[in-house]
Amino acid sequence: MNNQIFKDMVEANINEINDTIDLLYLTSNSCSKNKLLNSLRKNISNIKTLLQDLQNGASINNSQPNTTKVFTLDELSKYNGKDGNPAYVAVNSIVYDVTNNAAWGGATHFGLTAGRDLTKAFSACHAGEPILSKLKVVGKMAE
Amino acid sequence: MNQANINCPNFSLKLETASVLVNKVIDGINRNTMKKRKLVWLELTGCSGNIISLLDGANPDFKSLAAQMVNFIYENSLMVAEGEAAMKKLFSVIGDDYILAVEGAVSTKDDGMHQIIGRWKGQPVTALRAITELGENASHVIAVGTCASDGGISAAKPNPSECVGIQKLLKKKVIKLPGCPCHPDWFMGTLAYIMLCGEPELDDRQRPLMFYSTLIHDICPRRPYFDKGIFASKLGEKTCMFKLGCRGPVTRVDCPLRKWNDGVNWPIGDDSPCIGCAMFGFPDKMEPFISYDTT
Repeated sequence: MNNQIFKDMVEANINEINDTIDLLYLTSNSCSKNKLLNSLRKNISNIKTLLQDLQNGASINNSQPNTTKVFTLDELSKYNGKDGNPAYVAVNSIVYDVTNNAAWGGATHFGLTAGRDLTKAFSACHAGEPILSKLKVVGKMAE
Repeated sequence: MNQANINCPNFSLKLETASVLVNKVIDGINRNTMKKRKLVWLELTGCSGNIISLLDGANPDFKSLAAQMVNFIYENSLMVAEGEAAMKKLFSVIGDDYILAVEGAVSTKDDGMHQIIGRWKGQPVTALRAITELGENASHVIAVGTCASDGGISAAKPNPSECVGIQKLLKKKVIKLPGCPCHPDWFMGTLAYIMLCGEPELDDRQRPLMFYSTLIHDICPRRPYFDKGIFASKLGEKTCMFKLGCRGPVTRVDCPLRKWNDGVNWPIGDDSPCIGCAMFGFPDKMEPFISYDTT
């Protein structure tokens, strides 16, 4: 994600928040009000996530990932998040660090464990989602 | 949760959602502007934990629901009728207007013969038959709890009775309230909303946004510890349990705010990691529930 995309996403959320606030002034129906409040929470959560990524120094510009280190499957398996080792996973031949990724509690994620090539599992669940661009790249898989 | 969050009107309003909706329904019924709807609650292949949880509801409580809000037609743990008389009541609603709440998954092996909920006209009534006949005829179907929503514990590996969530057996949309068990507010608020306005706004997995819009991690009182990288290394420590395998970051529901047992506490408040019981794929995809020696 580059700076312009980040700025556009924050602005889009702020515009939605302003529209929702305008609507809140107009409604007296509690059902509608709850819907609008939920919408506000969603926008705030979006902005918080974007800021969190920024503060964590997650790679805002991943156009030149660090792919100098080359992993074999056997080497990758050592980085399983246990016994002092960081948690790495490979997707589409790129190796990412998920050690402190919130969704990887205990170095596991929806029954998956770190230290493996998860290309198939990733494409089955997260295809098209801009998740990988937020992760730190630590190398690439051997050809 | 820190003091600033407690005072946020958005949070306090969220806590009032279920009671406001239920009181509006009761008020409408008392003023004769609304009618009580018939409610059928089926306990299928599960542990009956959701009906027990509902009985533990407070503000709104179960009495408000049963006495003032709906005509409770069938609930096998609570009703007086038994045997064929109970089954007669159950099937009497077909052709009439009713809302169906279902807890438990549905056993499909051997044509459903691993889960018999009663006998009707001399024949065993399987959970499979009950859900297909009563589900398609209901005005709305609510899956109460994780097993009804997604198979849950009843469908956990190796799933010998071939249990499935109820959506897999019904063509119509099922409103899903996952959680093991379902919080009383989630059910009563959803039911009241249906009676007032029809189907509530749902996410892409058919969960009502009014209860399931927030990740636990985003409103967790221990979130500041996560942000600062202060992690518990064993159970009992008061810091972030992410390294122990907490599933709060992937579980979307409002437990940190609403809490349980009349707002007394919730798992993380008692130093236990979230095990993701309200998330699809629970329990198999949420295991291991606890991890040690992680980095």
